Amino acid sequence: MKPKIIIGVVSIVLFTSLLMYNFGNSIDSYVNFEQANDRANSHVIGTWESAEHYGFSRETMQFSFHMKDQDGNVRRVVYPRPKPNNFEQATQLVVVGEMRNNVFHANEMLMKCPSKYNDPSELELVNSRDS
Amino acid sequence: MIATIGHLLLSGAFVASLAAMVLYAYAATKDNKKVERISNWVWGLKGLLVFASSAALIWLIMTHQFQYYYVWNYTSLDLETKYLFSSFYGGQEGSFMLWIFCGFIVGLGLIKWTRKPYKAPVMFVMALTQFFLLSMVVGWDLNFTQIGATPFRTIAQEMPNAPFIQANPDFVPSDGTGLNDLLKSPWMMIHPPIIFVGFAMMTVPFAFAIASLWTKTYHEWIRPALPWTLAANLSLLTAIFLGGYWAYETLSFGGYWAWDPVENASLVPWLIGTAGIHAMIIQRKSSRAHKASLFFAILAYVAIIYQTFLTRSGVLADQSVHSFVDLGLYGQLLTFILVMAVMGIGFYLYRYPELPSPADESKFLSKEFMTFTGSMLLFILGFVIIIGTSSPIIGKLFVEHPTPPEIQFYNDWSMPIAIVMAIATVIGQHLFWQKHTWESLAGVLVWPLLFTSVATVLSIILGDVRNLYYMIYIFAAWFTVMGNASVMLSLLRKNPKLVGGTVTHIGFGALLLGIIASSVYTEPLLDQRTANYNARIVAGDVFDEEGFPVTQKVEMFELEIDQPTLINNKYMVTYKGYELTDSPRPGQQNYILKFEPIDGSDSFYMSPEVYPMLTSSTQDNIEWSVDPHVRTGWFSDIYLYVAGSKYVERRNQELERRNRQMVPASDEGDQEENEVQTIEIRMGDTVSAGSFNFTFQNFVPASEEALPDNTQIGIRALIMVEHEPSGNAYEIEPLFAVYTEEGRSYTYSPPLDIDRWDMNVMFSRIHPETDSIELTIHGMDENFEEDWILVVAEKKPFVSVVWLGTFLLMIGFSISIMRHWKREKDTQEKEKRLNKPDKM
Repeated sequence: MKPKIIIGVVSIVLFTSLLMYNFGNSIDSYVNFEQANDRANSHVIGTWESAEHYGFSRETMQFSFHMKDQDGNVRRVVYPRPKPNNFEQATQLVVVGEMRNNVFHANEMLMKCPSKYNDPSELELVNSRDS
Repeated sequence: MIATIGHLLLSGAFVASLAAMVLYAYAATKDNKKVERISNWVWGLKGLLVFASSAALIWLIMTHQFQYYYVWNYTSLDLETKYLFSSFYGGQEGSFMLWIFCGFIVGLGLIKWTRKPYKAPVMFVMALTQFFLLSMVVGWDLNFTQIGATPFRTIAQEMPNAPFIQANPDFVPSDGTGLNDLLKSPWMMIHPPIIFVGFAMMTVPFAFAIASLWTKTYHEWIRPALPWTLAANLSLLTAIFLGGYWAYETLSFGGYWAWDPVENASLVPWLIGTAGIHAMIIQRKSSRAHKASLFFAILAYVAIIYQTFLTRSGVLADQSVHSFVDLGLYGQLLTFILVMAVMGIGFYLYRYPELPSPADESKFLSKEFMTFTGSMLLFILGFVIIIGTSSPIIGKLFVEHPTPPEIQFYNDWSMPIAIVMAIATVIGQHLFWQKHTWESLAGVLVWPLLFTSVATVLSIILGDVRNLYYMIYIFAAWFTVMGNASVMLSLLRKNPKLVGGTVTHIGFGALLLGIIASSVYTEPLLDQRTANYNARIVAGDVFDEEGFPVTQKVEMFELEIDQPTLINNKYMVTYKGYELTDSPRPGQQNYILKFEPIDGSDSFYMSPEVYPMLTSSTQDNIEWSVDPHVRTGWFSDIYLYVAGSKYVERRNQELERRNRQMVPASDEGDQEENEVQTIEIRMGDTVSAGSFNFTFQNFVPASEEALPDNTQIGIRALIMVEHEPSGNAYEIEPLFAVYTEEGRSYTYSPPLDIDRWDMNVMFSRIHPETDSIELTIHGMDENFEEDWILVVAEKKPFVSVVWLGTFLLMIGFSISIMRHWKREKDTQEKEKRLNKPDKM
């Protein structure tokens, strides 16, 4: 009985530590644009700067826009795919990619979309449209 | 008024669930049949109250009472009735109500069918869970704290500080914000009810496990619990399938699975529930694994609440595309999960010393060992996914502000686990029906192994598989299919009712094959130019304007109208234009693409759509959304959507122009200047106007019929009109004639339409002295460009096999449910027959 328990405990410990080690390696910390400058791959959270020009360019086949990170840094982001659905609706954007020469090259982009609007201005907007 | 009633009904239901809980607990401890009957009535009353308050909410939605926040937030006037109905469970509060209602129905089934020692304790646990769920929506505003968020709150209650509420507290919006267009899908209508039926049924094994610990009857509980667990799993599986199919068909992710926390939220309970089913089956067959089946039954439900907590408390806010927004229920959800976990696991540990354990160790080559291995592997896989999904909490051990794990984390762990599982299913199934030694097992596996090898080699050659790891995986998957199929064939000869397990395992094998084919071997469809460009990117030969190497491949291509383009050396694809329609969505464009395979097989059409998102578009800003077209085939699917088009671009430019014009100071006045234009050309010359070239080639005689009476001169000019950017050209022969009527001369130059470019050309004058002619052109757009679209397309092999595997799993589960349900009914009948003489 004894050796079996030892083997069991050892294998559970081994499995868990391997899992946690691998898990720890596969996650990363969110950073801002400044910190992203000297990293290979970074996740940046921010919001879309709608005042700046944005859109998809048929020459470069890239979607580009400006994003403000949580610390207020604004950078141009290029994304090699068409504008995602729900882009303008998103209350928050997460871009994953690499910073090069002050332009963020995103490989992945996540939109956080509200399932409800907390913003009262939305309500006024709806009403001004109808009245 | 209705809302107040609804709110009161909900409060009543909350109190009733508390009463039912206490009464059932009393009935269970005192074994009091009378109190149990009363509790059943209280349970029924609670259900009635929940039903009535749901009806009240639906009534508010149907009658568009937008002063209520829930109605305003999830519906609008233009919503179809079916979607009005489904928006009842579109928000967090309503979905809790649906969950509660499903739980109530399941409770009715338990009251009717549960055997004696278990009924009261099982119903106590059911009432306890209902109590917690109801507390999420009861919306009691106690002075020191708030319990739950009621769906019946008004906008004024939700946003008391909004300026328009301060100005007018009785403000009623004239329309709601509406349901997100992406959710307007029949799949999304039935997905939530099915998932909540699954959640509600998964409460049953948990309740039985607690009841068995309570009554110290550790052997019997699995018999009634097993069919419920199987049914819960079938529901969850169906819901996962519907969700995946919806994501594949509707969203532009291009896949059916993305390891998103919300998807994981239904997968993990399914995996742990399946682990529980395996443990219960060992317990039923061999009277072993009591500890495991109790443990997994408890854990499956805890997993459901834990995942509910993760998705609904706002913890995952940064990580999921579609997690719910925080309703301030964090504390309550945390209490819910803690109570359930402590009660379940704590009770389990408390009773652990007296739980039956087997006298001897099971041999490696036994059905017990193999089934238990399967159970543990399912649990481990579930555990890995829980760790991954919990990254906002567990990740804090490693970094300050953790991101979700890379997709690779899930793939790296699930693949080896799946390979071991796959092999265990075959050995386990063979041992399940017959005892084997190594020799006899090898004997029965000769044929399946032979078939597996042939299928694997064929797959590797035909699929051009080069990765050794994938080869092993494919082998394991085929082995699952072939090995379980051989068991199924022998069972079919003996008793077809027993094939449930083998069918699910074959489905599992098919699922593994479908997953690898459709994910690893998906290829983008591209034209030659883009493919060459990507090859240069891979070689590192492309640099951007700042001199950095470009590393991101282009995975889309452009099509110009009526210009056949060769795609992947396989199809000639032609963009045939688009249709504007207002159905089902206003302002929708249906694009038409013709695919002609160059191997000569039948051509086909694809019709992806683009439409303005109603909920979020305004007059000065349209948000376009795409609806992909998926062409399903036996061997591969073509997934395609239009990522951009001339129409959309023009509409956006128009809006931009109009927005600018609304500001008077910057009135640029760039109206269409070139409505009418005249050009003079000498014979043989070419004159350019904008992007068009006009070449006057020659005069052509005009035939008599086309000329008016009394014509003096009648001549046609042969003109070649070329659109330079696209190279498209037309030859036209406009007519010029001079005729007399009542002594006066008139010229006759009928306009010739070029529909494609929306212009018409008139031959308006001849200058014989310079040998030139004058053309008058209407409607020419100098910047005209041909209609174009940007296409993103993928070829996904064997998605059909993913669905096939899923269906086989569903069929297998259904067969097993029927078998175990019938067995349970038979036992009950037998007991009744045995008990009757005693009573008389």
